Amino acid sequence: MNETDNTITTTRSGRDLSDAPDIIVCKGVSKWYGDFQALEKISATIKEQEVVVVLGPSGSGKSTWIRCINRLEHHQEGDIIVDGVELTNDMRNIEKIRSEVGMVFQQFNLFPHLSVRDNVTLAPIWVRKKPKAEAIEQANELLELVGIPEQADKFPGQLSGGQQQRVAIARALAMEPRIMLFDEPTSALDPEMIKEVLDVMKDLARSGMTMMVVTHEMGFAKEVADRIIFMEEGQIVEVGTPEHFFTNPTEDRTKLFLSQIL
Amino acid sequence: MTEIQSSAGVPVIAAPPQEPHLPPKEWLKKNLFSNVGNTLITIMTSVVILSLANGLLGFAFGSERQWNAVAVNSRLYMSFAYPEAQYNRIWFSFATLLVLAGLSMAIWRGGTRMPFARLAKSAYSFGVGLAIMVWLAPLSTSGTVKWEIAAGGLLLAGFIFNRIAAQDEERSLSSLTLLVGTLASIIATLWFIPYGRHSFIGDRIPQVVSEPGTVAFSTKLPWTIMLFVLVGAYYLGIVLRDRLPERRTRSVLMGFWLISPIFLIYLVLRDPAFTMNHVLYTDIPLVLGFLVVGSLILYALTKPSLGEIGRIIAMLILLAGFGSFLTPMRMIIRIFLIALGLFSLAAPTFSGDKSTRRRYSSIWSGFIVIAGWLITAVNTPSTVEVPGDLFFGGATLTLIVAFFTVILSYPLGVLLALARTSNMPIFRLLATTFIEFVRGVPLITILIFFSVMLPLFLPEGMRLPEVTSVTIGYALFSAAYVAENIRGGLQSVTRGQHEAAEAVGMSTSQKTVFIILPQALRMSIPPMVGHTIGTLKETSLLYIIGLFDLLYVGRSVIPNQTAFIGSTRENLLFVSVLYWVISYSMSKASQRIEKRVGLGER
Amino acid sequence: MTAPVEQPPSTRLAVAQRVPLWRDVVVLKWFTQVSLLAVVLAALWLFVGQAGNNLRAKDITIGFDFIDRPVDIQLSEGIDTLPNSGGRALWVGMVNTLRVASVGIVFSTILGIFVALSRLSNNWMLRKVGAMWVESLRNVPLLVQIIFYSSILATLPRTSFLDPTAAAGPLNQNQGPIHNWLHISNKGVSLPRVFIADGFYQWAIVILLGAIAAHFVRKKRLKQHDDTGRETSPILWAAGTLAIFGFVGLFIHPVFSFVGPIMGGIASLIDSLTIPMTQAVISIVAVLLALRWIRKFRTDRRSGSGHLNLSDDDWFRMIFAGLASALVIVVIYKWTGLSSWLLNSGQDLFRLAETKFNVDGAARPFDAMRPDVLKPGNFANYGKNGLTMTRGFAAVFFGVTFYHSAHIGEIVRGGILSVPKGQVEAASAVGLNRAQSLRRVILPQAFRISLPPLGNQYLSLTKNTSLAIAVGYSDIVQVGQTIYNQTGKALPVMSVWMLFYLACSLTISVVVNFFNMRLKLVER
Ligand SMILES: Nc1ncnc2c1ncn2[C@@H]1O[C@H](COP(=O)(O)OP(=O)(O)OP(=O)(O)O)[C@@H](O)[C@H]1O
Ligand SMILES: [Mg+2]
Repeated sequence: MNETDNTITTTRSGRDLSDAPDIIVCKGVSKWYGDFQALEKISATIKEQEVVVVLGPSGSGKSTWIRCINRLEHHQEGDIIVDGVELTNDMRNIEKIRSEVGMVFQQFNLFPHLSVRDNVTLAPIWVRKKPKAEAIEQANELLELVGIPEQADKFPGQLSGGQQQRVAIARALAMEPRIMLFDEPTSALDPEMIKEVLDVMKDLARSGMTMMVVTHEMGFAKEVADRIIFMEEGQIVEVGTPEHFFTNPTEDRTKLFLSQIL
Repeated sequence: MTEIQSSAGVPVIAAPPQEPHLPPKEWLKKNLFSNVGNTLITIMTSVVILSLANGLLGFAFGSERQWNAVAVNSRLYMSFAYPEAQYNRIWFSFATLLVLAGLSMAIWRGGTRMPFARLAKSAYSFGVGLAIMVWLAPLSTSGTVKWEIAAGGLLLAGFIFNRIAAQDEERSLSSLTLLVGTLASIIATLWFIPYGRHSFIGDRIPQVVSEPGTVAFSTKLPWTIMLFVLVGAYYLGIVLRDRLPERRTRSVLMGFWLISPIFLIYLVLRDPAFTMNHVLYTDIPLVLGFLVVGSLILYALTKPSLGEIGRIIAMLILLAGFGSFLTPMRMIIRIFLIALGLFSLAAPTFSGDKSTRRRYSSIWSGFIVIAGWLITAVNTPSTVEVPGDLFFGGATLTLIVAFFTVILSYPLGVLLALARTSNMPIFRLLATTFIEFVRGVPLITILIFFSVMLPLFLPEGMRLPEVTSVTIGYALFSAAYVAENIRGGLQSVTRGQHEAAEAVGMSTSQKTVFIILPQALRMSIPPMVGHTIGTLKETSLLYIIGLFDLLYVGRSVIPNQTAFIGSTRENLLFVSVLYWVISYSMSKASQRIEKRVGLGER
Repeated sequence: MTAPVEQPPSTRLAVAQRVPLWRDVVVLKWFTQVSLLAVVLAALWLFVGQAGNNLRAKDITIGFDFIDRPVDIQLSEGIDTLPNSGGRALWVGMVNTLRVASVGIVFSTILGIFVALSRLSNNWMLRKVGAMWVESLRNVPLLVQIIFYSSILATLPRTSFLDPTAAAGPLNQNQGPIHNWLHISNKGVSLPRVFIADGFYQWAIVILLGAIAAHFVRKKRLKQHDDTGRETSPILWAAGTLAIFGFVGLFIHPVFSFVGPIMGGIASLIDSLTIPMTQAVISIVAVLLALRWIRKFRTDRRSGSGHLNLSDDDWFRMIFAGLASALVIVVIYKWTGLSSWLLNSGQDLFRLAETKFNVDGAARPFDAMRPDVLKPGNFANYGKNGLTMTRGFAAVFFGVTFYHSAHIGEIVRGGILSVPKGQVEAASAVGLNRAQSLRRVILPQAFRISLPPLGNQYLSLTKNTSLAIAVGYSDIVQVGQTIYNQTGKALPVMSVWMLFYLACSLTISVVVNFFNMRLKLVER
C-alpha cells in the first residue's frame, strides 16, 4: 500500500475534490493495547468536504482509528495532523482539535442529568465561551435542523433512541466543527429509527461537512460516500470510490467481506 | 408472594411482602396459623413478646424508677449550662429554622394525603396496643384507668375515622394537618401538666434547687409561639408559592438553609458584650481588600482568550500563599492568598462571556465574606460566663459537632474520591493511603489522638478548644467514608459520559464539574444519608473523650446529682430513645423521599 | 451549515513542532502531582518539626522503652492480669480485643442469620419481631447500648446469687452453688474451664499431621465419588481422620519432644549471624525483589512483536519500586537497631518454641480447673482460673453482637431477596425440595452477594470493640490509655494501637477477599 492509493481524482457525487486541501493526514499510525496491536501503520489523507465511510469486520480497529483522530485514544507511532494541527501532548493543540472535530457515538452518550437544550448549549457556553442567549438560539436552530425542536425541554431519558442520536448530532454540531466523526451511529437503533438519523447525516454531507463515518449501512455508503476505506486487522486493505468498491474490488479480503454482508 | 408453601421458620423467598387485602379471618389464617408449625411459632413468639413487654414495662413503671431525674434535668439534656438569661437566642434560632421549615413545606408541596381508612386502621392498632401495654404495666389503679381511657379515646378516634371513610372513600387528611394537630395537643398539655422542675448549674456539678417554676410552665409560652410560627410560615409559603417564580424561590430558600446553621450557631455562641474594635480595624479592611482585588484579578483571569498566562499567574499567587508560611504573617492573609490561588487556577474552567465572568467574581466575593466572617467568629471566642470550659453541651453539643463534621467532611470526601479515581498516580497513592488508613482504625483512637496529640502539633501559642480538635478528628474520619461512598457514585458514571464530555472539548475539570460530579453525587445520596445518620450516632463517642454531650449528661452528670443517685438506667433509656427517634425518623423520611424522586437509580 | 469554510492557507500541514513545556499535558500532569506531594510533605514536615519542638519544650520523650519497663497496671481480665511490663500489658489487651471480636463475629453472624430468616418467614408475628429487632437496635448508638447493658448487669447481686448461703451473710467468699462449679454475680459469670497445659504443643504437631492426613483422605474420597458416583461423604471422613489423630495424640504426643532441640538449633544458628550479614541479606533481597518486579512489569508490557509500550504511569510504578527498595536499604543501614531487633526476636521466638517442646514426657495437653473466687471485691481475681465472662466482656459482647446482628440480618436478607424468583422456580422444577433448594441454590447465591458487605461488618465489629474503654473492659485501647497516662508516651502507644487495628483490618479483608475470589472462580 502506498500513499498515492489514498488520494482520489473524481468522486461519486460528481464533486471534484482533487485540489481541495487535506484536512486529516495520517502517516504510519500505529497503536497497541498492551501487547495487542490495534492499528498497524495506517496512512490516509482526507480532503476537506469529503465524506469517507470506513468499513471492516468487527474488531478491525475502525473505532480505534477514528477515536485517535480526536485524541480519545493516543496513538503511539506515526503522525496525525488534523486541520494543520499535529496531535501531540500540547494542551493547546488538544483543545483546538476537540473543538474542530465533532464526534457521535454508538451509545449516544447524552448527559442524562441535563435537559436536551442544556446538552446542546453546555459546551458552547463553557468551551467556546459563547454568551448564553446566543448559545440557546443556536441550540434551537440546531434542534430544528435535526428535526426535534419540540423536545428541547425534555430529558434524554424521555426520548426515543433515534431522537437521542439526533440530539447527539446537534450537540456535536453546536461546537461548529469542521469535521464530524460518526462511530456506528445507527447500530444501537431499531430499524424504523435508523432512517431518521441517516437522513440528518445525509443533509449534513450535502451541506459540505467533512465526515468520517464508521457504519454497516451499505445503502448509506453507496449513496453518500465519496470514498470507502476498508480495514482489517488494524490495516487499511483497500480504498476506493463506492462504484469501485462494490462492483469490482481488487483485494480478496474485500471480496470475502462483501460476499458475507451483501 | 410465591406459591411455594413453607413450614414456619424456613423463609419463603418472595418480594418484600405486599399484602393483598384479605378479610381479617383469612389474613390471620394465612399469616399466623397456616399449619401446625406456624401456629406453634405464633404462640411461642407471642408468649416471648408478652413476657418481654411485661418485663420492660415493669422496669419502666416500677415504683423505684426515678423518671423525675430526666424530667427535672431536661434543660441539662438540651443545652447543659447555657445561661438562662440568654435563652431567647436559642428560641430565636429555633424559630428561624421553623420559619424555613414551614416555608419549605409549602413551597416544595410537602406532606402526603392520608386516606381516612388508613388512619382508622392505625388508630385501632395503636389503641389496642396501648390497652395491652397498660394492662401489662404495673401501674397504680388510677394510672391504669387514666391510660385505659386514653386507649379508649384512640379506639373511638378509629371508629370515627372509619365512619368518615365509609361515607366517602376519597376523603383524606393531609399528613401535615396530622403533624400540626399532634404537636398542638402535646404543647397544649404543657399548659396543664407540670412536667419536671428546673435544675441549674451551680458549680461544676449541676445541682437541683428548689425553684417554683417547672419546665413545663416556663416553656409553655415559647413552645406555643413556636407552633404558631411554624403554621404561619407555612401559610406565608403558600402565598409566596402562588405569587413568585418557583425555581427562583426554591434556590433562594436552599441558600437560606445552607447559610442559616452557620449563622445560628454563631448567634447562639456569640459573646453578648463583644467589642468590635478588632473586627472594624483589621478584619473588615482585610476582607474588603481581598474582595475587591481578588474580584478584579479573577475577572481578568476568566477572560477566555488569556491562555497559559492565566495559569502562570495563578501559580504565582498560589506560590505566594504557600511562601507566606515562611514569613510571619496573619493566618487570615495566608488562607485568603491560598484560596485566591485556587480560585485563579480554576478560572479557565469557568471563563466565558461578561455575565459569566461577573458571576465568578461574585462567587469569590461571597466566599470571602463567609470565610472572613467564620474566621472572625472562630478568633473571637464567646465569653459567656459559666463555670467549666464549655458552656453548652447536651443535645446542643451533639448537634453542633455532627453538623460541623458533615459540613467539613463532605467537600473533603469529594476531593479524596476524585483524587482516588483520577489518572494521576501520586494523587491516587496519597488518597488511597489516607482513606485505607483511616478506615482501618477505630474512630475512638482517632478521637483520642486528636484530643491528646493535636495540641502538640500546633505552633506555640496557638490553642484549639478540645471540641474543635475532636471535631477535626471526626471530620477527617468521616471524610474517608464519604470518599468511599462518592467513589461508588463516580464509578457508576459510564465511560461513555467521560468520552462524550471530552469529545465536545471540555477540559478535565469542566468534565468533572459539569458532567461527572452531578451524576455521581446524585447516585451517592442514599448511602450518604445513611452515613449522616451514622455520624449523628457516632457523636456519642464524645462521652469517652469527656465532653459533655448527650450521653455524658445522661451517664455521668445526672446520676451523680445527690437527688438522683443511681438513676443511670432511666437516663440511659431516655438517651437511647432520643437517639432512636431522631435516627429512625431520619432514615424513614429519607427512604420515602428516595422512593418518591427515584434517587439512587439511573 | 454554520461551519466556516474559509480559504485555507497553502501550508496547511504543520511540521512536527516541539511542544513547549508549559503546554505539554504530560509535563503539566506530573508537575501538578509533584507540587501537591511537595505541599503535603512540607506540611507534614512543619507539623512534625513543631511537634518535636513542643515535645522537647515539655520534656516528653518518645520511644518504645515502656515496652520493657515495669508498669503499675491491673487488668480487668485476660491471660495475665498483673503484667510485669508495658509490652506484656499491651499484649494482654490485644488478646482481649481479639477474644471479644472473634466471639462477637461468630455470634453476630448466627444471630444475624436467624434475624434474616425470621424477617423472611411467612409468619407475621415472627416477621414483626425480626423487624423490631433490626429497627430498634441499629438506630441506637452502639456506645449507649454497651453502657446500658453494663449498667443492667451491675444490678445483679454482689455475690453469686445462686448460692443459697450468700443471701444471708454479707460477703460470702469462695462459695458458689453446685460445689463451686458456677458463679453468677455483678462481676460476671464464671464456669470451670479446660485450658491448654504443657503438653499442648507436642499434641498440636500430631494435629497438624492429622490435618495433612485428613486432606489426603478427603481428596481420595472425592475421587471415589467422581469415579463411582456413590455418596462418599468426604468431609465426614476428613473430620473423622482428624478426630482419630487428636485422640491418639493424647497418648503418644511425648514422641514429639525431639522438635525442641531442632528449634534450639535454629535459634543458635540465628545467634551466630552478625548484624552486617543481616543487613546485607535484607538489602539484597529488597533489590532483587524490586528488580524482579520491574522485569516482570516490562515483560508484561511488551507486545508479541517486541514493542515495549510504557505509559507515564508505568514509569512511575517502576520508579516507585526502585525508590522503595532504596528506602529499605537506607533504613536498614541507618538503623542498626532494627537488624539486631530482628535477629533477637527471631532467636527469642525459636528459643521459646524450644522451651515449649522441652517438657516432661508425662505432661498432659489439657487440664481443667474449677472457678476460684478468691477476692470477690477484686475484679482482677474474680474467677481467675475458671472460664469467666466478666461484666465488661459481657457488655461489649452483647453490644457488638446485638448491634451487628441487626446489620448482618439486613445484609443476609438483602442477599436472599436478590436471588431472582426464577431460581426458586427452577429449583422446584427440577425436583429439589424446599430445604434442598435453600441449601443448594439460594444460599450459595445469596452468600456471594452478601459476602463483601459482611466483610465490612466484621471489620467494623472488630473496630467497635474499642468502645470497651467505656465499660472498663481491658482491651488494647483501655490498656494503652492507662499506660500513656502513667508514662506520658501517648504517641508510641497510639502507633501500637493503629498498627494493631490495621493488621486486624488487613487480615479480615484478606480472608474476605480470598473467599470472594474463590466464589467468583467457582462461578465460571
Ligand atoms: N481499551 C481496550 N483495551 C484493549 N483492547 C482494546 C481496547 N479497545 C479496543 N481493543 C481491541 O482493539 C481491537 C479493535 O477494536 P475496535 O473497537 O477499534 O474495533 P471495531 O473495528 O470498531 O469493531 P466493531 O465493528 O465491533 O465496533 C479489538 O480487537 C479490540 O479487542
Ligand atoms: Mg467499533
